Amino acid sequence: MEDMKKTAIVTLNGTSHTCPIGTSLGTLLSHHGQGTMPCGGHGKCGKCLVTVKGEVSAPSNDERRILSDDELERGIRLACRTTVLGDCTVTTTEQGKGQIVTDGRFPASMKAQSLSPAFSTYGVAIDIGTTTLAARLFDSAGRLLSEVSRMNPQSVWGADVISRMEAALAGDAPKIAKVIRRALNAMVVDLATAAHLQATDVQALVITGNTVMLYLLTETDVEPLTHAPFAAQRLFGETLTADELSFTSLQPETPVYLPPCIAAFVGADTTTATLASDLREIPETSLLCDIGTNGEMVLWHEGSLYACSTAAGPAFEGAGISMGMGGKTGAIDRVWVEDGEIQAHVIGEASPIGLCGSGLVDAVAALLDTEILDETGYLEDDPAVIMAPVEITQEDIRAVQLAKSAIHGGMRTMIKTAGLSCDGVKTLYIAGGFGSYLDVKNAGKIGLLPAELVERVTVLGNAALTGAAMLLLCTNLRASCEKLARETRIVELASNPVFVNEYVERMMF
Amino acid sequence: MSIAILNEISENLQKGKAKIVVELVQKALDEGVSANDILNEGLLAGMSIIGEKFKNDEVYVPEVLVAARAMNKGAILLKPHLAAAGVEATGKVVIGTVQGDLHDIGKNLVKMMLEGKGLEVIDLGADVAPETFIQTAIDQNCKVICLSALLTTTMGVMEDVVKKAEEMGVRDQLKIMIGGAPVSAEFCAKIGADIYTPDAASAADVAVEFCK
Repeated sequence: MEDMKKTAIVTLNGTSHTCPIGTSLGTLLSHHGQGTMPCGGHGKCGKCLVTVKGEVSAPSNDERRILSDDELERGIRLACRTTVLGDCTVTTTEQGKGQIVTDGRFPASMKAQSLSPAFSTYGVAIDIGTTTLAARLFDSAGRLLSEVSRMNPQSVWGADVISRMEAALAGDAPKIAKVIRRALNAMVVDLATAAHLQATDVQALVITGNTVMLYLLTETDVEPLTHAPFAAQRLFGETLTADELSFTSLQPETPVYLPPCIAAFVGADTTTATLASDLREIPETSLLCDIGTNGEMVLWHEGSLYACSTAAGPAFEGAGISMGMGGKTGAIDRVWVEDGEIQAHVIGEASPIGLCGSGLVDAVAALLDTEILDETGYLEDDPAVIMAPVEITQEDIRAVQLAKSAIHGGMRTMIKTAGLSCDGVKTLYIAGGFGSYLDVKNAGKIGLLPAELVERVTVLGNAALTGAAMLLLCTNLRASCEKLARETRIVELASNPVFVNEYVERMMF
Repeated sequence: MSIAILNEISENLQKGKAKIVVELVQKALDEGVSANDILNEGLLAGMSIIGEKFKNDEVYVPEVLVAARAMNKGAILLKPHLAAAGVEATGKVVIGTVQGDLHDIGKNLVKMMLEGKGLEVIDLGADVAPETFIQTAIDQNCKVICLSALLTTTMGVMEDVVKKAEEMGVRDQLKIMIGGAPVSAEFCAKIGADIYTPDAASAADVAVEFCK
């Protein structure tokens, strides 16, 4: 009798590796430093796409949920959910034909649309985040050719929108506009260069961002955005030219579309994220949340959209936390408990120097698990060591409590306002950079998200940018997008008794 | 016997256990403890410990908020009993968040502390026009106006309130107190308000002094 085969040969992006039968492709990929797993290999985010031919496990429920039948037929799988059963060939999608966007894939509704690009050669979609700028270059077939990001240079005027508006009001508005315009122009040049093109080959732009970011870009007076009743006169959904925005490397008449904002504090980024989430394409109620310095939320319920914005503060972006930092080399990005001991992973396998947002959420969950932290937020050992010399202080915990209850309280307020409980919400879409790296289970444990919704989370990545790309590639979506923004109802939180109560309630662990 | 239950109320309030506090307040009432004692030696005793701890950086905003909520829920239960007992207020204060600003969590905390000190508080809510503050103070015969702002872009309205008081010829009859995250003692001096207090407990202490 022939011996049972114990190992298999896996050809990964053209290189052969021997591995034991039963190995997860996710493990294999991370071992060879290929592909990314933003959700930590939990089958949630759909980012670890691979094309597989050969003997592997049958598609799991997670894969059936995330992937279409057509994709499964073509051998597209989630690496984290696929097990090697014999010899096979695996290609990571980044090396594929560029049909699949690395972060934030186009939703089904877009696939069904025929493309109607705003250009015949190349176009660029940009998201102006308060912290980060991100941009993608596409060809007229909708293929992603290059992608760049950089820090928002406006940060010299403060990390939050309020300080930047103050600076603008104090007379720096022209300077702030100049700096952001110059940065965006440079990003278009970078995108073109990376795709072996000239910036002048770019024929159309779509620029999304929160309301304040678009006001500062267009040098619109921000004064009405700084106080109640927050009467934003200009809500965009308009086309300017490259010349008007001083994008000097482009042809002067190149059209630049600015998608519509919903209100003073719910911007075009929320509009485009809503578009990218496909929220309106399913009859069931669902909630979209972009977690950042502000948490913007959109609830889709019985044919209506409701939106709100909640001030979480920058804790999850690493600011305001004693050893907080961005997701760079040296940042602890994962923390877990093993045999009662706190374990941590450091980005770049370097010596730990701080905690990034995802690490912070995990660390708080681990402190709760080990009972170093109690349900009121009292820290038994202050500071608590996560991985020497990185530690968390009592004050850090308090900052996390304020931030997480703002997000969680906002979500519950939206759900309650619609007369629902969490049971009535089919899917919770999480958008934004931090959300992509978040361990949703731990987010539920620390009360950043309602625990009832953890199993119903879908991670979207930079949905604001994906939505902007949709408006670039399908110009016929613009009219419905403008309608969406007009018809979305704003739920006011600051003076809302439901929110105030939820905000306090969700501060505990 | 009654001492034990009052301590229990205080301790649970400090932990923010609103549900238990309400149960205990009801139990104390049922046992015949006076509403006044429950308020002063149970709820307010607990709240003032939290207030002190907050002043000394031993606890942070979340604890104060959850404790205040527990206090509020307990106080609602006591209110009819207190009124029946004819407990007199020691002074009258008007409070609100300034025009253009909708944040009222901090303002509500101060309000609760003021009430805790036995003051009668007229709460104008958020987004309150300067004139409304002054007119209410005149109409209701309040000696103190407490102003709150959370935004750097709205704190300037506090100065408008001071000016309005001058304009309406009542500046010398009123004490104007200010508070909120972006506000400071320097700012207070600059706009000509009377005093800045950094936390809810200090605000209540000062207001009591002003009402004497």
